[in-house]
Amino acid sequence: MGASVPSEASGAGGPARSFATTVSSALAPVTGVLRSLEIDTRMLGMIAALIVIWISFNIVSGGNFLTARNLWNLSVQSASIAIMATGMVLIIVSRNIDLSVGSMLGFLGYTMAMIQAVWIPKNLGLGFEQPYAWVITLVIGIALGFAVGGLQGFIVAFGGVPSFIVTLGGLLVWRGLLFRYAQGQTIAPLDTTFQMLGGGTVGTRVGALGEWPSWILGALICLGIVGTLIASRRRKRRYGFPVRPMWAEVLVGVVACGVVIGTVWVANNYPLPPAVAEQYAQEHGIQAPPGGLFIPTGVAFPVVIMLIVTLVVTFLATRRRFGRYVYAIGGNPDAAALAGINVRRTIMLTFALMGSLAAVSAAVQTARLNAAVTSLGTQNELDVISAAVIGGTSFSGGIGTVPGAILGAVVMQSLRSGMVLLLVDSPTQDIVVGIVLVAAVGLDALFRRRVS
Amino acid sequence: MRRSLAVLAAMFTLIVSACGGTSSGTTGGAASATTAAACTVGVSWNNYQEERWAKWDEPALKAAIAAGGGKYVSNDAKSSPETQASNVDNLISQGAKVVVILAQDGTAIKPSVAKSIQNGVPVIAYDRLIEDPKALYITFDNVLVGKLEAQAVFAAKPKGNYAIIKGNKADANADFLRSGMEQVIGAAVKAGDIKIVGETYTDNWDPAKAQTNMEQILTANQNKVDAVLSENDGMAGGVIAALTAQGLAGKTPVSGQDGDKAALNRVALGTQTVDVWKDARLLGKTAGDAAIQLCKNADPSKVSGTAIFKTPGGNSLSSILLTPNPITKDNLKDVLDAGWITKADLCQGVAAGKVSVCG
Repeated sequence: MGASVPSEASGAGGPARSFATTVSSALAPVTGVLRSLEIDTRMLGMIAALIVIWISFNIVSGGNFLTARNLWNLSVQSASIAIMATGMVLIIVSRNIDLSVGSMLGFLGYTMAMIQAVWIPKNLGLGFEQPYAWVITLVIGIALGFAVGGLQGFIVAFGGVPSFIVTLGGLLVWRGLLFRYAQGQTIAPLDTTFQMLGGGTVGTRVGALGEWPSWILGALICLGIVGTLIASRRRKRRYGFPVRPMWAEVLVGVVACGVVIGTVWVANNYPLPPAVAEQYAQEHGIQAPPGGLFIPTGVAFPVVIMLIVTLVVTFLATRRRFGRYVYAIGGNPDAAALAGINVRRTIMLTFALMGSLAAVSAAVQTARLNAAVTSLGTQNELDVISAAVIGGTSFSGGIGTVPGAILGAVVMQSLRSGMVLLLVDSPTQDIVVGIVLVAAVGLDALFRRRVS
Repeated sequence: MRRSLAVLAAMFTLIVSACGGTSSGTTGGAASATTAAACTVGVSWNNYQEERWAKWDEPALKAAIAAGGGKYVSNDAKSSPETQASNVDNLISQGAKVVVILAQDGTAIKPSVAKSIQNGVPVIAYDRLIEDPKALYITFDNVLVGKLEAQAVFAAKPKGNYAIIKGNKADANADFLRSGMEQVIGAAVKAGDIKIVGETYTDNWDPAKAQTNMEQILTANQNKVDAVLSENDGMAGGVIAALTAQGLAGKTPVSGQDGDKAALNRVALGTQTVDVWKDARLLGKTAGDAAIQLCKNADPSKVSGTAIFKTPGGNSLSSILLTPNPITKDNLKDVLDAGWITKADLCQGVAAGKVSVCG
């Protein structure tokens, strides 16, 4: 962690060094606070970057960016990339790469659309809009994703073929298979219950939690955060590890809860669109008040799905043997193997997990579009890898966090949708995102060199 | 090894076709049969895996060629411009007297086209433009498609805020379509009746990107978007998903083209205003008929129904521009009668009594 410079720097000479020393000693109180908080400084840097991006877009767009509506849209637009980025972190941490996620997503999404819109209703003759269709679709999709990803993982781990090659092949194969059996046809419309997974609206059904469930979700997450903080403090005490001062503990808890409650508040401040609200009021016999209807939308389902995925993957990564193995392999594969870790099995599992997550993302994307198209997921691999890397995952292995990747996905999507809001054309968007990607990683490398 | 095999295969085909010619000559005996047997039409597909070519274009082409007494040979470039260049040579060595090319890359194929024409084998640029002044360009009129899209939407909303969702920037069709739209709305934009509140290109015509773009345009304008001109059906799907989320689907007119099943279903449901339908079978038939005529006279300008087309590259070439058919709620019968779509697909989810063809 980068906060421990001052004490080391004092012994060195030279003008540049002394300047660095002055700066560090001037920053000493700040770094001291950061150290007590035990917060990753690069994470803070990213949050700062995100705030700068948001505020600048808000100013340039004349106040259109930081509205509840745009932030709600942004959360939904980021969700599908964020879901996959959590898995990509583990893959990159273990010194591999998965270039096939976009093609896998297309293949899985199209298959899932076929299950609910063709195979169940037509081939099996069970008809459309079966209440169980979405569950079957999702379960088969995730299982298929696990198999498809697992197959690639098997070839990487047991076949000894570099993951770059295997997944480059996968990128071609899955897309090719998709073209083969899709033959250019769009599958639409999808099951209406399934559509809820994408945060869309069908009539008056909205793919979001609504007001009170959103608050309850927020409260539960807060309780979870507080519980985790307390448990972790106790555990550290028990093993005689140093703990944060009490004030730092409280501050971390308050800030984290504040962010959660703030997010719920924003989501609840986005009302149902007037046209939808009117219909909703009619159906539920609500009288429209004089000031107009205000029915809060609440946290969107794709975001709920993303939260669940984050929770599961973070748990796997930090609390299970699987996750520790992944980081150990990334740190030093030979040492990990010598220590008795089943490296091959672990690697294969990371790819299988990635496949399952691609299926979850595929569900969100197809549900959102209410259609499966052959171009589904094209170039998503670039967005997912960029999100993980902007979020601090290192290609040299062993370093990277799931929350970082989520933040990376939000940064990327903020840039993209902010530029669309300003009607920036797509080539310019690509240029900006490309520069930001390189700059983020470049600054990080520079920062790390300074520190060490 | 591979090359010699290919040569062998080509020779074999030549022998077989020669035999075929003799046999038909002996059985038919008439002079017309002899000329017809000599008319082998070679077709170079760019990517036969896409549904459309195999399902609609090829049967129509084949039928028209057979009706003219010709013979059909074909190959597939599998989306590779290099493969297509050698495929064209292969077709000629197989005895093709006319070559029909669905170009993967209209520029990369130019040397092959020039060579072929020099050797006395006329070329038909099928569906996609090839910038060679001696080729015959047969396609649906893309500018007209844009015009028809805009006309249907303009009829529904002659005034107000318009959003325009264009296709891939690198695809010339995106701009052809846009220029057709301009013919319809240009005057109203100048007069201030129509305000364009959002206009974007969409990478790879990607429906998901179109959806995100539409969401942002709606956000930036507080939903005050009265009509959307989308250049194709896939993107119209994305646009309509974004409109549905705001409860605006069916209230805001949206255009599209291609005759996608999902889009025609949306026209029946009332969420899409118009789907400009280009019957690929008509394109295939026209190209087949033209190929037969080119066999007798290699001059493209002598083919019936041609006009001069000025290309964006500054060339003038003979062309046949077919007229597309705008499908709205009122003439859904056309696509059903043509067997383009089944009633079950067209009417899925349509409430009884709403649309006449759905009952």
